[in-house]
Amino acid sequence: MRSPLRGRGRGEGSAMRGGGRGPRGRGPGGRVPGGRGPRSEPGGMKGGNKVIVTPHRHEGVFTGKGKDEVILTKNLVPGESVYNEKRISVQNEDGTKVEYRVWNPFCSKLAAAIFGGLDDIWIKPGAKVLYLGAASGTSVSHVSDIVGPEGCVYAVEFSPRSGRDLVNMAKKRRNVVPIIEDARHPAKYRMLVSMVDVIFADVAQPYQANCIDGTMPAETVFSNEVKKLQADELKPAEQITLEPYERDHACVVGGYRVPRKQKTATAS
Amino acid sequence: MLLLFETPGGFAIFKVLDEGKLSSVEDLGNVFSSPESARKMVKLKAFDKFDNTSDALEAVAKLVEGTPSKGLRKFLKANCKGETLAVADSKLGNIIKEKLTIDCVHNNAVMELLRGVRSQLSELITGLGEQDLAPMSLELSHSLARYKLKFSSDKVDTMIIQAIGLLDDLDKELNTYAMRVREWYGWHFPELAKIISDNILYAKSVKLMGNRINAAKLDFSEILADEVEAELKEASVISMGTEVSDLDLIHIRELCDQVLSLAEYRAQLYDYLKSRMNTIAPNLTALVGELVGARLISHGGSLLNLAKQPGSTVQILGAEKALFRALKTKHNTPKYGLIFHASVVGQAGRKNKPRIARSLAAKAALSIRCDALGDAGDNSMGVENRLKLEARLRSLEGKDLGRLAGSAKGKPKIEVYNKDKKMGSGGLIAPAETYNTAADSLLVQTTVSAENGVKEKKDKKKKKKAEAEEEEEAKAEESSKKKKKKKAKTEVEPEVVEPAKKEKKKKKRKHEEEETEEPAKKKEERKEGEEEEEE
Repeated sequence: MRSPLRGRGRGEGSAMRGGGRGPRGRGPGGRVPGGRGPRSEPGGMKGGNKVIVTPHRHEGVFTGKGKDEVILTKNLVPGESVYNEKRISVQNEDGTKVEYRVWNPFCSKLAAAIFGGLDDIWIKPGAKVLYLGAASGTSVSHVSDIVGPEGCVYAVEFSPRSGRDLVNMAKKRRNVVPIIEDARHPAKYRMLVSMVDVIFADVAQPYQANCIDGTMPAETVFSNEVKKLQADELKPAEQITLEPYERDHACVVGGYRVPRKQKTATAS
Repeated sequence: MLLLFETPGGFAIFKVLDEGKLSSVEDLGNVFSSPESARKMVKLKAFDKFDNTSDALEAVAKLVEGTPSKGLRKFLKANCKGETLAVADSKLGNIIKEKLTIDCVHNNAVMELLRGVRSQLSELITGLGEQDLAPMSLELSHSLARYKLKFSSDKVDTMIIQAIGLLDDLDKELNTYAMRVREWYGWHFPELAKIISDNILYAKSVKLMGNRINAAKLDFSEILADEVEAELKEASVISMGTEVSDLDLIHIRELCDQVLSLAEYRAQLYDYLKSRMNTIAPNLTALVGELVGARLISHGGSLLNLAKQPGSTVQILGAEKALFRALKTKHNTPKYGLIFHASVVGQAGRKNKPRIARSLAAKAALSIRCDALGDAGDNSMGVENRLKLEARLRSLEGKDLGRLAGSAKGKPKIEVYNKDKKMGSGGLIAPAETYNTAADSLLVQTTVSAENGVKEKKDKKKKKKAEAEEEEEAKAEESSKKKKKKKAKTEVEPEVVEPAKKEKKKKKRKHEEEETEEPAKKKEERKEGEEEEEE
C-alpha cells in the first residue's frame, strides 16, 4: 500500500528551498563533541537553527540534532535537492564543506523503518542494492547517497510517469541504474543487473493486505507474508511496524540462503 | 550442454562441463561459491560483444520481448550446433527452438546455474571486469529506459522557451539598430526619417541610395510606393543635411545590412517557433495562437509546470505585479495577463473581454494538460474548444444587441428609466465615440506626441500594451461621459491629466494597473480633481 502523498512536493515548507544554503557566519570553532560531529550552521529546518550532525548507527546515515531530530544522508550531488527536501551544509575542521540532505520518514518507508529502530538495514557504502518499486526516485536518491560512488542501486519502476522522473534523477547520479520494467518479471531485466547484496522491495501488489480483505487485521496479514517469504528460502530476521509514519505497514528484514552469502530482503 | 548468458557488454555462451551436478539443485549453489570450482563447472565457449550502444539497445529490447535479435541468432547458429541450450526465459527458448532448431531447456537447475555464473562473472569471463560492466550497464539501462519512455527529442519544450526569449531579444536589437540607422543617416538626410516610417524600408532605401544625391537617379519602385518615392526624390534635392564621406556611407550601409539580415532571421525564427509550437503543444496553439502559447509556456517554466496550474492562474499569468498589489490592498484583481493578447479576447467587446478571458483560460488549461500529459499528438481538442469559445462569444455579443434591439413582438422592451444613462446609443454595444473637445488642450497634445514617440521605440509586445492602454483610456473617457453631464467637462480634464502622468511611468506597469483601474474608477464617486492616485 503506497501512501498517496509520497514523493515530491512534501516536506517542511518549500520556502526554504534553495534559500539559505551554506554556513552563515562562523560559529566558534572547537566544542566538537567527541572529535566527531562538526557543528553545522543552519540551512535546515527553520533556518537559523543550530544543528549538530553525528553519524548514525547505520553506516552512511547521519543524525541531525537541532530542535528536533532528523536523519540525513550525505549528498552525492552537492548543491541539488531531488524533491525539494532541505539540505544542511556543514563545514569540517579542515575547511571543506559537506552537504547532507534531510531524509523525511513520512516520505520514505526506509527512513521510517530506520527511525523505528531497525537493527540492521544492510545498505552500506559500497553495497549493491536492487530497489524494487522505485517510483520517482525520492527514496532511491537517499539509498544512492548511502552506497556512495562505489556502490550501485538498480532502481526498478514500472510506471512511465514516475519512470521519467527516475531517469532524470539517474542522469545526475551515476550510481543509479534506472530500469523501467515490471518488478515481477526479473527475467526481463536480467541483462542489466549483476549480483546484488541487498534487495529492497516496496511494490504495490494487487493482492496486498487490507485493500482486498478489509476484515483481517494488519498483524495477521504481516505474518502471512512472512510465512510466504520463509517458503522462498528467506529467513526472517526482524520485523517492525512503521507507525507513526505509515498506517498498517511493517518492515520485514530477512536473509537469503543465510550461511555464507548474506543476501537480505526487506519488504513491506 | 550450453548456457546462454546475457551481459550488458554482449552475449556469452558457456559450456557446462559437469552435467551430473545439475541434478541436485541445492549443491549447485555451493559449486559457485569459489572461482576455481566455478571454472570446473562451466567454461566460456564464445562471447559476442555488442558493437555499439544502438546495437546493444536493439538486442536487449528484443530480448525483453522474448525474441532473439539478428545478432543473437547468428551467434547461436555459429556456436550451438547439436547441443542443448539452457536459457533464462522459456519464451525465448521456444522461439529459438522454432527458428534455429536448437533444443532449449529452462528449469530450476538452469536458474541456479545462471545465478552461479552471475556471481562469478568477472572470473569466468576474462577481460570483462566489474569496472567495465558497470558503465556499460548504466548506459544500456538509460538507452533502454529512454526507448521505453518513448523519449522524443521533438517534444522538448526548452526549445520554445529559448526561441521566444531570442525573439524578444531580436526585436529589441532590431529596434535599437534601426533607430541607430535613422539617427546616423539623419545627419545626412533628415527628411527621410519622416517620409519613411517603416524601419526595414528605411534601411533598404538607405542601402540602395547611399548618398542622397543618387536618389534622383535611382528607381525605388520595389521598395517604396510611388508617392513616397516622389516625396523622397523631392526631399533629396532640398535636403538640409550635411555631406558625408564615402567611408561613412560604407559603414552606414553595413549597419543597414545588419538590420536587414536580422529582420530576415527574425522571420525565420518566428516560423521555427510556429512549427515547434505545433509539434509540442498543438491544442494550446489552436486555442490561443503560437505567440501567446509560447509566452505562456515560457512564463510557466515548462509545459509540465504550466499543466499543473489551474485555469484561474492561466488567466492572470503575466499580471503578477498587479495581482499581488490588488490582493494586498484588497482591491479588484486583474482580469487578464498574457491571455489578453489572444485573438479571441481581442475580438471581444469591452464588456465581454473579461468573460471570454476567463472561459479561454479554462479551456486553455485543459488544452495544456492534454498536450503535456496526453498521448494524442493532434490538435482536435484545441480546435473543438476554439469553436465552442467563438460560439460563446457570439452569444454574449448577441445578448447585448438583443437587449437593445427589443423583442420580436414589435414592442420595445420597457426598461426602468435611468436618468443617468445616455440615451441614443441605439444598437451600439458601446456608445459611439464623439470628438472629445477636451483633447484640444495643449496638455493632451504633449501626451499624444509623447505617446507616439514612445510607441515607436517599443517592441511588438509593448506596442500591444500601449494599444490596450489607449483602449482603456478611451473607455475611461467614455465612462465619464456616461455620468452626469454637468460634471463631464471637469471630470474629463482630470482624467486627461492622469494619462499625462501615466505616460511618464513605465508602460508595462501601467498596463497592469489599467486592468484594475477601470472597475475601481467606475465604482468610486466622481469627485472633482480627486481621482484616485494609481501609485
